[in-house]
Amino acid sequence: MTQLLEHPAKSSTAVGLDVDRVDARDKLAGRAEYTGDLHPPSMLYGAVLRSQFAHAEIESIDTSGAEATDGVIAVLTGDDLTDLDPYYGHALRDRPIIAIDKVRFVGEPIAVVAAKSQTIADAALSAIDVSYRVLPNAATLDRALAPGAPLVHEGPVRPGLAHGLGKLPEREGNICYRYGFSFGDVDAAFARAAVVVDDEYVFPAVYQYSMETHTTIAHHRGREITVWSSCQHPFLVRQEISELFEVPLDDVRVIVPYLGGGFGSKSYTKMEPLTVAISRKAGLPVRIMNRVDESMVTTRRHNMKCRMRTAASAEGQLLGRVVEMWLDTGAYADNGPRVTATAGDAAPGPYRWEAVDVKAQCVYTNTSPAGSYRAFGATHLQWIGESQVDEVARRLGLDRVEIRRANLLARGGQVRPGAKGLDADLVGDVDKVAAALDWSSPRPLHRGVGLAVGLLAAGAHPVSMATVRLGADGGVSVLVGTTELGQGARTVMGQIAAEVLGLPPSRVVVRGTDTSYTPYDRSTGASRSTTVAGKAVEEAAAQVLEELIETAEATLGVARDELVVSEGRISGGGAAMTYEELIERRFGLKGGELIGHGHVGPRGGSGGFADGPVFWEVCVGGAEVEVDPETGIVTVLSVSTVADVGKAINPLLVRRQDEGAVMQGLGNALFEEMRFSDDGLLLNDTLLDYRIPSFEDLPASMSCTIVENEDGPGPFGAKGCGEGALAALPAAIVNALADAGVQMTELPLTPERVWEKIHSQHEIPKNDSKEERYQ
Amino acid sequence: MKLPPFEVHRPSSLYDASRLLRDLGGDGVPINGGTELLLAMKLGLAQYDHLVDLKRVPELRGVRPISTSVSIGAGMTHRELEGSPVIAEAVGEMPRMLAEVANVRVRSVGTIGGNLCFADPHSDPATFLSAVEATLVLGDGSTSRRVPVDQFFLGAYETVLEHGELLVEVTVPAVPVGTGIAHMRMKVHERPAVTVAAKVTLERDTIVRARLVVGSVCGAPVLPQAIDKLIGASRGTWSERVREVAAASAAAVAPVADAEGSSRYKQALVEVFVRRALDAALANASGFTR
Repeated sequence: MTQLLEHPAKSSTAVGLDVDRVDARDKLAGRAEYTGDLHPPSMLYGAVLRSQFAHAEIESIDTSGAEATDGVIAVLTGDDLTDLDPYYGHALRDRPIIAIDKVRFVGEPIAVVAAKSQTIADAALSAIDVSYRVLPNAATLDRALAPGAPLVHEGPVRPGLAHGLGKLPEREGNICYRYGFSFGDVDAAFARAAVVVDDEYVFPAVYQYSMETHTTIAHHRGREITVWSSCQHPFLVRQEISELFEVPLDDVRVIVPYLGGGFGSKSYTKMEPLTVAISRKAGLPVRIMNRVDESMVTTRRHNMKCRMRTAASAEGQLLGRVVEMWLDTGAYADNGPRVTATAGDAAPGPYRWEAVDVKAQCVYTNTSPAGSYRAFGATHLQWIGESQVDEVARRLGLDRVEIRRANLLARGGQVRPGAKGLDADLVGDVDKVAAALDWSSPRPLHRGVGLAVGLLAAGAHPVSMATVRLGADGGVSVLVGTTELGQGARTVMGQIAAEVLGLPPSRVVVRGTDTSYTPYDRSTGASRSTTVAGKAVEEAAAQVLEELIETAEATLGVARDELVVSEGRISGGGAAMTYEELIERRFGLKGGELIGHGHVGPRGGSGGFADGPVFWEVCVGGAEVEVDPETGIVTVLSVSTVADVGKAINPLLVRRQDEGAVMQGLGNALFEEMRFSDDGLLLNDTLLDYRIPSFEDLPASMSCTIVENEDGPGPFGAKGCGEGALAALPAAIVNALADAGVQMTELPLTPERVWEKIHSQHEIPKNDSKEERYQ
Repeated sequence: MKLPPFEVHRPSSLYDASRLLRDLGGDGVPINGGTELLLAMKLGLAQYDHLVDLKRVPELRGVRPISTSVSIGAGMTHRELEGSPVIAEAVGEMPRMLAEVANVRVRSVGTIGGNLCFADPHSDPATFLSAVEATLVLGDGSTSRRVPVDQFFLGAYETVLEHGELLVEVTVPAVPVGTGIAHMRMKVHERPAVTVAAKVTLERDTIVRARLVVGSVCGAPVLPQAIDKLIGASRGTWSERVREVAAASAAAVAPVADAEGSSRYKQALVEVFVRRALDAALANASGFTR
C-alpha cells in the first residue's frame, strides 16, 4: 500500500497556511445554499402541533377540522405509524417519531400538517383538537430522582443502533444510564489528606443556538426516501431512517448543503423521522423548518447537579477525588448516555491521583431532550474540578500554577483505566496560558485571574472514508462526508488533498454530502473531522499521487526516487509533465480520471486509531475578570487559550475555532440558562430573555497560542481543535472570580447570582473604600 | 410566533393618519419602526387588522433648535438622533443615552416616539426624558396639547394618548451651565433591568434644584420624593446626602420581580445607581468631566 514518506520531497503548498475559507465568498454574497433555500418540485410546507403539557396521556386527537381546510394535503398523528416500529434513538431507542398515546415534554410533536403554503399549515394547527389527561410530572431533576417519582418511561430499555457504550444497564426509575469507574483506595487517600474540598454544584440547561434552525425536507416516494437536512451526521441519519421506515440503506439518500452552525444541535437524528413520516402520508416532498422556539425544545445541553470531593496532602499532592453527578437528559435520551460518559471521563481532571471514584447518572425528566453541545461533559465538569484544585491551593497557600505543574499527568500518563495514555504536554500548555495572562503580576481589588486545564475524549468512533478524484484538467475533487457547518471543514479537507498532490488549494473542490455518492463518514463532531476524515482524505490523495508517479515513471523512463513533484507537474530526467499530460498519456485521450480511496477505522487503516479515544483534546485557558460587588456584574477583561493541535493545517481557522469556543464559553459561564417553569414550560425562548454573547461582550484582550508538537494521529501529526476552549473558559472565569473573592458553585454567573453570593458572605470589602472606581 | 396577516395604510399627513386611526377604532394601531409592536404581534400579545404606518408623515420628522430647547420629531429614529449635532449641543448626555438603547438594528428603525408611546416599563428614553423635564406635543393635525413626560405614562403599556391622537414631537430643554445630567442603566438581557437619570443644578456650590427618575423597575418611571433632601446641600455635605437619597429612594420603590431580577435585587440596584447617577450629575454640574 501507499507509503507517504517514500514519495519524492516537495515543499508545502497548502498545509500550515492561512488559506481563506472556500465558502466565505458565497456565504457573504448570499449565494450559499442552505436546506431552507431548496425547493423540490411540489414541495409542501409542514407545521407541527406541539404538546402544551410536560406529562399527559393523549385521550383523543381530532384532526378533521385541519384536514377539511383548503390547501391542507395531509395531517399526521401517531395513529399513522401502526405499520412501523416507530421508535428511534441512536443511544436508546426510546423516542417515537411523533407522540403515541402520551406526551413527555412541553413541545413534543403531536401532529403535523402538510399544506400548500406555510400560512395554511400554521393556521390549520388551530383546527386540531387534542384532549389530554394531565399526569403528575417529573420536570425537575429532584422530582425525577425522588422516591416514587412519576416515570417518564416504562417498559424495557432498547439499545439504539449506534450507542457504542458496550452493554447497557437496565433503567432504574428515571435513571436511564449509569457510567462510572474507580481506581485506588479512596478511603485511604482521604484518610491521609490534609485538605478536603467538598461542595455541590449546579450547571444549567443551555441552548446551542446555531443561527440556522433545524430544517429538513423529505420525500418518501414508496421505495426511495430522499432527505435534505441541516444535519451533522448524514450517514447516521440515513441508517436510522432506513431502519425506521424499513427500506434498504441504499434507498435512503441524505443530502446536506451548508449548515448555518451546528455545535452539536444537529448531531444524530432530529427532525428527519417526523419529516419523512409526514411526506410518507402526503406522498409529496414536505419541508419542516423549525422556528427558534421550536429548535430550543428540539435539543439542548444537559443541566446537571454534581457533588465533588477532592483530597490533597499538606504538601499539595492531589490524592483522591470522588465525584457523583446527575445529568438531566430530558424526556428522551438522545446523546445523553454519551454525554454522561464523557462527563465522567472529564471528572478526575488530568492529574496523577492515588484514588478516584466517579459515578455519573443520566436522568429522564419531563423537559425537552438534551444532547450534544460543543465540548459536552468536559464543559460540565472542568469548572468544578478546577475550582477545587484552586481551593486546595488557596487553603495550602500554594500558587495555583505550581500545584498544577506538580500534579499534572505527564505524556503517556493514565487518564482513565483502559484508555489511551495522555498524548500532550499539559505543563507546557498551562505555562503558556499563565505567561499570556501575566500570571504573577499584582492586581487591584475586585480583580482576579484564573486558569484551567482539562481533557476531552475526542474523535468519536474513528470510521471515515474518502475519495479523491483528479480530473483530466488537473483539477481535484474531494468526496468526504464531513459536514461544513461553519468550522471550515471543506477548506481544510481541500488543503490536505492539495498538500499531498503538491497543488495550490484553489485547484481542489470539496462539496457537500450526498450519501448516494459520498463515501461513509461516521459523524461531524467530537473534533474528529481533521483528524479522522482528514486522514482518509490524505490517504485517498496519496493513492492518486501514487498513480501519477507510476505513470510518470513509465512515461519519462525515470525511477521514482529521481522524480520531483512540484506545482502540478512531475519532472525527472530533464523532462517535466503536468498532471493533465500524465492523465492524457495514461488514458490515450483528454479524459478519464485518477481516483484514490482512503479509509480509516479502529482496526486496519492507519495507525493511531486502535485505542480510544482517538486523541485527548486539551482544554486549557485562562481569564482575568473584574467584579462589581455592588451589582454583581462580572466583566471578563482578558482571555487566553492554547490550541494544542499537533499540527495546524490552517492556523487561521484554528484561531477562529478557539475564538468561537471562547465566545460560547463566555455565554455558558456568564449568561446562558434555559429557565423552565415547575410545569416544564420553557420560559425564555426568545433572545429578549435568553442572553447569548454578542460582540459587545468580547473581552478587551483575547490571545490564542497554537502548539504544534505533531503528536496527533491525524494527517501531518494533526489532532482536532475547537472544543477545548469552551470547556476551559467557564472554569477559568469561575477561578478568576474566586480569585477576586467570590467562589461560585452555580452557573451561569448572572449579576444577581453573584450579588447574592457576595451578600451572603462577608469576605469582600465593603464598597465605600473603593468609591472612586465607580465614578 | 408568526406574524398574523394585516393591512398597512400609509397616510401622508398627521391629519390623515389621525382620522384613519379614529375611523379604524380598535382594529387599527399606529406603527413606525415596529420594533416593539411587531414583536408583540408575533408573540400573540397584540392583534390588529390595520397598521397605520407613520413613516410618511412629515410632521413627525426633524430636529430643530427653538430658543432654549430642542424640538424632536417623534418619528425620528434613535440612530438619527444619536448623531444629531443639535441634540449633542443642547443636551450632551442624550446621544450617549440613545446609543445604549437596545442594539444598532433596533436603533436604526425604532423611533423615539414609538419607544415612548409603547410605554414598555423597561425604557431608557422614558426615564431620561422625565429627568430632563421634556415635554411632549400630542396632536391630531387640527388640535394639539402639551404634556410633561412624567405625566404621559399611566402604567405599563398605558399612556394618556386618546385614540387617534398621536405623539408629534418631544421638546427637550437645553441644559444650562451649572446643571448636570447623568443617565445610568444596567441590563441583564436585552432590556434594561434598572435605569436611573438625574438632573441637578448648582448655584455657588449649593444644590438649588434636583430631579431624579428611576425607570425600568416599576410599571412606569418613578420620581422618588427623597430627592428633595438634596436641596440646599453644599459641596461639603452633598456626598452624605446623596447616600441618604439613594437609600430612601430604594426603600420607596417597589420593583416588579421579573426575568431581569428579583424585587430585592432591583431594590439594591436602585440604591447603587441612584448614588452613582447623582454623584455623576453633581460632577457634571461642577464642570468636571467624569
